[in-house]
Amino acid sequence: MDLFFWELARASGLAAYVALCIAVLTGLAPRTAALGFLATNRAVRTLHDWTPWIVIPAALTHVVALLLDATARISVLDLIIPFQTSYGQLAIGLGTISLDLVVIVIVTTWLRRRLSNGAWQNLHRLSYVGFVTMFLHSILSGTDLASPIIAAMSWASAIAIGYYSLERVGRALPIAKARA
Amino acid sequence: MPANTTPPLPPLSAKTGPGRTKKRSGPVPAWGLKVASVLMTLTVFGTGLGYASTHLYTTNAPLQPAAIAATSTSSTGSAPATPAATTATTTLTSAVRTTTRTAVTKTASS
Repeated sequence: MDLFFWELARASGLAAYVALCIAVLTGLAPRTAALGFLATNRAVRTLHDWTPWIVIPAALTHVVALLLDATARISVLDLIIPFQTSYGQLAIGLGTISLDLVVIVIVTTWLRRRLSNGAWQNLHRLSYVGFVTMFLHSILSGTDLASPIIAAMSWASAIAIGYYSLERVGRALPIAKARA
Repeated sequence: MPANTTPPLPPLSAKTGPGRTKKRSGPVPAWGLKVASVLMTLTVFGTGLGYASTHLYTTNAPLQPAAIAATSTSSTGSAPATPAATTATTTLTSAVRTTTRTAVTKTASS
């Protein structure tokens, strides 16, 4: 049974990574035309608003499977407070930070009407940090990333998101300067 | 005859003028994108599950709990055993009995 949870944790970890890639990419796409060949900005935005429904199940499965896997020795507290595990503190701690940030971004989006636009934007920008920590977590602790094919796909998606993030920043900076 | 005081209109922008090149967005509707994203996530999950079941013990995995690390270290033979492996002892109790089955291992002696 322990092996089943171990396999489930690995597979759901990969699925959570893909789901988060889709969420971040569709968030970047309307400003960068990254998915202009595929769909209209309105459709991409609709998908972005809907992506929590693929991110949450995948991340939840990953976390619950690790909790139930006796060999992994992950406690409930490790899901909230980073760097508390008895081994791989940095690698697992980055995953904890990523999980915390994803929860913050999703919850504040659901509470968006109660927040000012500036506060919500600043909190939503934490998703970039969340993606970086999740990528580092997958590189430092991902068992399946020992496979060259899976590692290449992970790196390719991360590089693509990094490229479009820089493009987004490049477009936003002149506007911010003009407003100032 | 009064002079024409109306300022001249600015030249038409190449981006917004009538001769602009139209950028057409892709034809996939929002529901199609949702279905594709779910399928992509499920495909990765299924493929990952299949891969994990066929590659249970990845010796070059970046992170291994202490129990797994001790097992893989002692199984390689060339590396020195960990202190936990050398000090581990097995206590034979009365429940342990001999068997008539053929041995699956052999002990070489010089």
